Amino acid sequence: MSFDLSLIATSLPKILQGLGLTLNLLAVSTLFGLILAVGILLMRLSRRSWLVWPAKAYIYFFRGTPLLVQLFVIYHGLPQFGFIRQSVLWPLLREPYWCSVIALSLNTAAYVSEILRGGVLGVDKGFVEAGKALGLSKFQRTTRITAPLAVRLALPAYSNEIVSMLKSTALASTVTLMEMTGVARTIVADTFAPYEIFIAATIIYLVLVWIIQTGFTLIETYANRHVRKT
Amino acid sequence: MKLMTGLLSATVVSLMAVAMPAQAETLRVGMECTYAPFNYRTPEGEMAGYDVDVAKGIAERIGVELDYVCQEWDGMIPALLASKFDLIVASMSITEERKQKIDFSVPYRVSLGRILGSKDAALKLFDADGKPIPDAFNGLRFGVERASTYAKWVEAKLPGAEIALYDGAQPMLLDLQNGRIDIAITNPMKAYLDFLSKENGAGFEFVSPPIDEVEYFGPGVGVGLRKGNDELLAKIDKALEDMIKDGSLEKFSLKYFPFSIQPANWKGVGQ
Repeated sequence: MSFDLSLIATSLPKILQGLGLTLNLLAVSTLFGLILAVGILLMRLSRRSWLVWPAKAYIYFFRGTPLLVQLFVIYHGLPQFGFIRQSVLWPLLREPYWCSVIALSLNTAAYVSEILRGGVLGVDKGFVEAGKALGLSKFQRTTRITAPLAVRLALPAYSNEIVSMLKSTALASTVTLMEMTGVARTIVADTFAPYEIFIAATIIYLVLVWIIQTGFTLIETYANRHVRKT
Repeated sequence: MKLMTGLLSATVVSLMAVAMPAQAETLRVGMECTYAPFNYRTPEGEMAGYDVDVAKGIAERIGVELDYVCQEWDGMIPALLASKFDLIVASMSITEERKQKIDFSVPYRVSLGRILGSKDAALKLFDADGKPIPDAFNGLRFGVERASTYAKWVEAKLPGAEIALYDGAQPMLLDLQNGRIDIAITNPMKAYLDFLSKENGAGFEFVSPPIDEVEYFGPGVGVGLRKGNDELLAKIDKALEDMIKDGSLEKFSLKYFPFSIQPANWKGVGQ
């Protein structure tokens, strides 16, 4: 096998042309996913069973099936129905970009809502009771005590999910999007040199993951600045 | 013992020498045997298809018997080089890379692409000389297979086109049907067999003339043989040219497609 180091160097700038779309997919899906996740979390934590069960079913479905399958169902499956193609949603669903954003957002929302629930359950009852004793309302207790503590507890797991999302954006290349993996696959098909090209893509992904990890470490340090290390 | 072996092999050699001239020469032809409608087995087990018709036509004209050897695509050229058979008649495109290893006859089938689009859109994308009109492609989403010869053609001729890259013809035609893309370029034979002749493709048609510029698509499909068989190569070329002239190739193509797929007198669908 011949291995061409210079090919890695020349393919790096080409693959970087897909960086914008990769980051765009990551940012937009993470945002939508987080908003959705908070909604699902509130349903899941509710005492009303008709709110709890749909949330549980949602989480079970989206954690229980591969993201690639979810993307294909949305991209290839939905247009099989004529009424979808006639609907107001079609201008959105016609676009491979929005199909990818929808699949990524729906998927990550299931995971993030569980990550946040872990945070909420981890909050010491004593704090909430102390808030009650001070006469804080339920709303105040949630926004001023439970939520900030839960977020702090959930941060490490949440950073994991963002890293996981970054890698999931590569699946958008299967629905014609030219994000980094899409560009890499096209170069491979042209050059028949999968090792060099995918190694170049690997380098970029690793750098991105390093940036995300470092960023979250800084955020965690800031969020825990009051906690004394023993 | 040595003497026995020597005697035995001497006998075998002399027997063969006697037996050989009695039979007509046999040419072994390598093909996949699973690539309908070009080379495949009918339910009765008979070999059939355009490649098979061409092979039979050659054999008839140069006066040899045929033996079919079924060979997987990946090992086709190595098997020819290892003399597992003498000819490749397997829809193999003539390329510079392959020519380094084996010889090719004149083409007996064309390599080309055509653009598909919706009948309703009534697209006029090409001028009277068959040249693409770049402005007519504005605002059209163009489906192309990743790194295919078609992609090279589109990049060269229509640099401003809005392209969506696919990993295969199947998902591309699905998106054409769903309206995610407006036009798509692919092999018209495959497009006809898998799409236009089916219910799914009913609303679609070819919206371009056949695009067959040799610099992008190559000269076409030829018969492959080991290097150094110039005499046999000349005979095969002569047989193929005769078959083009007397209309045999035309007749063979029309058995499988509603249009001709042979090099001379290409006539596309709806031309």
